[in-house]
Amino acid sequence: MDYTVIVGGRAGDGVAQAAETLGKTLTRLGFYVFNYRDYPSLIRGGHNFNVISFSKDPINSHREKTDVIIALNQETIKLHSKKLKKDGIILCEKGINAKKSVQIDSEKILEEIKAPKIIRSSIFLGVLMKYFGHDLKPLNKIFSERHGKFLGLNMMASKRGYDELKGKVKKIGKGRKGKRYFLTGNQGISLGSIKAGLDMYIAYPMTPATPVLHFLAQKQIKHDMLVMQMENEIAVVNAALGASFTGAKAMVGTSGGGFALMGETLSMQGIAETPLTVYLSQRTAPGTGVPTYSTQGDLKFALNVGHGDFPRVVVAPGDAAESYKRTAEAIYLAEKYRLLSIIISDKHIGESHYTFDNIPKLKKVDIRNIIKPKKDFKIYKLTKNGMSPRSVPQMGEFVRATSYEHDEHGYTIEDPEMTKKMNDKRYRKWKFAEKEIMKMEPLTIYGKGRTTIISWGSTKGAILDTMRDLRNVKFVQINYISPFPSKQISKILKSSKKVILVENNVTGQLGDVIAEKTGFMIKNKVLKYDSRPLTKDWLLPKLRRLVK
Amino acid sequence: MNFGTSEVNTWCPGCTNFGILTAAKNAFSDLVKSKKLKAKDIVSVTGIGCSSKIYDYLNTNGIYCLHGRDIPVSIGVKMGNPNLEVIAFGGDGDVYAEGSAHFLHACRYNVDMTLLVHNNQVFALTTGQATPTSEDNFKGKSTPLGVFGEQMNPIATALVNGATFVARAYAMDPDLKNIIKKAVMHKGFAFVDIIQPCITFHNNRKDMEKRMYKMKNHNPKDLSAAIKKSVEWNYGDKGKIPMGIFYQAKKKTFENSWPQERVWFKKKRNVDQLSLFKEFE
Repeated sequence: MDYTVIVGGRAGDGVAQAAETLGKTLTRLGFYVFNYRDYPSLIRGGHNFNVISFSKDPINSHREKTDVIIALNQETIKLHSKKLKKDGIILCEKGINAKKSVQIDSEKILEEIKAPKIIRSSIFLGVLMKYFGHDLKPLNKIFSERHGKFLGLNMMASKRGYDELKGKVKKIGKGRKGKRYFLTGNQGISLGSIKAGLDMYIAYPMTPATPVLHFLAQKQIKHDMLVMQMENEIAVVNAALGASFTGAKAMVGTSGGGFALMGETLSMQGIAETPLTVYLSQRTAPGTGVPTYSTQGDLKFALNVGHGDFPRVVVAPGDAAESYKRTAEAIYLAEKYRLLSIIISDKHIGESHYTFDNIPKLKKVDIRNIIKPKKDFKIYKLTKNGMSPRSVPQMGEFVRATSYEHDEHGYTIEDPEMTKKMNDKRYRKWKFAEKEIMKMEPLTIYGKGRTTIISWGSTKGAILDTMRDLRNVKFVQINYISPFPSKQISKILKSSKKVILVENNVTGQLGDVIAEKTGFMIKNKVLKYDSRPLTKDWLLPKLRRLVK
Repeated sequence: MNFGTSEVNTWCPGCTNFGILTAAKNAFSDLVKSKKLKAKDIVSVTGIGCSSKIYDYLNTNGIYCLHGRDIPVSIGVKMGNPNLEVIAFGGDGDVYAEGSAHFLHACRYNVDMTLLVHNNQVFALTTGQATPTSEDNFKGKSTPLGVFGEQMNPIATALVNGATFVARAYAMDPDLKNIIKKAVMHKGFAFVDIIQPCITFHNNRKDMEKRMYKMKNHNPKDLSAAIKKSVEWNYGDKGKIPMGIFYQAKKKTFENSWPQERVWFKKKRNVDQLSLFKEFE
């Protein structure tokens, strides 16, 4: 049994904030909550909405059919009233044209309690609490934790809303006991970077990666790190390399366009072996595309970015908890192996709220790969496992980093022997890193069955929720796409009765990667590429047809 | 201390880059000797081109960047460890063409670093194409019809964008060493445009030498006087070329704009997971 609430209004109406408050309130009431955010690329006006789906059982994606619509504008009715369930209800602003609606004169209430317009959504949250058969305590608690300045007004507004609703009620009861966490993928990325001991986050604003820049900028003093915005993504990634050269753990964040600009420098990382982590938050491309919406269109780009052959880690979290875990791992791997780590996520994970019971367990991720050098220190030393020692300026010996092919000291060379030796060294190191990464849960298998659904990243939520209604099906989520867990995947695919590829892109990019790495060609592809994320409502009929 | 290396030098015999190499090595030696600078603190950051081959010839900490990116990498070094003394070397291709945006912003940020531009008014390592400072009527391999548009005036650009040390010097002038020393010691963004004629692809050395003159009675604290002086020669014409320090001022540096502790590589943290997630319960 799950419930869904849609909150819609113009940009600037505080829809996102109201949805977050509601989601958190429901989480504290013991529910698992998924909060999907949908907004266009503009600042004021337009239409934006959130879909909050919740259940006593874990829920990983939003539903399309809704129990409640909170409409702060007429557009919400126009767009969403068809999705209202038979026993659903519309709570809306007075004067909005809608059937089956409870109209609230919020302007009058705001005037009476002398509150600014931004308080308006709190009136509706009060109405909703009454409808769901709860008192205002948990909601008010969240107000008191959050809005220092408007605490009193928010409480008054929710009380007035609460009193407005008479008679109508849909008791949701309480969920499960226990502490739960409610956060977005972008918050997970940020927390993971703090956990890994990140010293520096450098970025240029780009949706949908920007919330990480904002979050870490606010926390930089508390967590003793440096957050810097620079003139463009090229400056950003080069500054990160410069900082990393001095021993600072550095990460940059961007979306497809900015990632493209970083490409040349990511290639330099490959030869310089200066640790670097990149957060790539995909949005709908090509070009500027549909900039505030979600598509998994950059997988092959991440796997191939930068000229020349050089190894890189590409890790794909599937929700907020994994965003935390995989970011911490990515930073750890970059530091330990002097590698490029790319965390590939997207708008859907980044800006949706997820609920989970436990903080993912991590081994020690906060490391520093810096040694005190001895005389004749070789920063590119040719070693058996390809791992060269790393030091930084002021530790004793001069250190070098270079975009040219080089000898063991980092001086420029052009001779074929050393060129080959250095290439071999870098790929020996990669083999060595691969061993450890293959122990870091490079893939996750959910459920049991002879039919295999295979995917990566943000499709996880909708697939898990859909699987509950399917029999004899397992889901394989690939977490590390580089290095690729070829052996395991190959084995699973060969022993499956049927394999179904699910992706949120046009061509089925993971399918191509699987073919390249295992030789296995997947025929059944379920692909969504309308710039909106997958939902159970969309996926279930498609999978049913294929699973039969 | 001699800052030389045993790497084979691949500049053309007689290249004016040798003048810059010698001046830089001597400037570093002097500063280390007089205890104004520690050798272990120096980081030479280079772009790509003939200028940047200096990476292999200088025995310091060093980063050999991509073309045009010596400035942002230098800024990153200062972000990572503000106690380091960064000297960026690049050509007019690096700084005025490929990396021009970085140049503007580094001036604006007033990063405490030194930028030495080997300005030969030509792309030399790629065998002779026009750069943003190639003079009027210059005909390169890619511009047989002659260059078009105005030249970039890096001195004026640096001045109006907030650089706090702006100078023009000549690669073969023994005084270059002193200008480099002053630039390195300056707290803030120190930029020196070094005229460095390419003897192979743009040999205007004799002509340039005739036109250079050292500024006298110029007050380097006066920004408007400096701007006026900076447009006396616009890199395109055949006029007189004022040499020396155009401007020097004290201003808050980039590195002083954050309160966090400065040197990151020594930092140890122990982040408690539970308290990290507290606000998301």
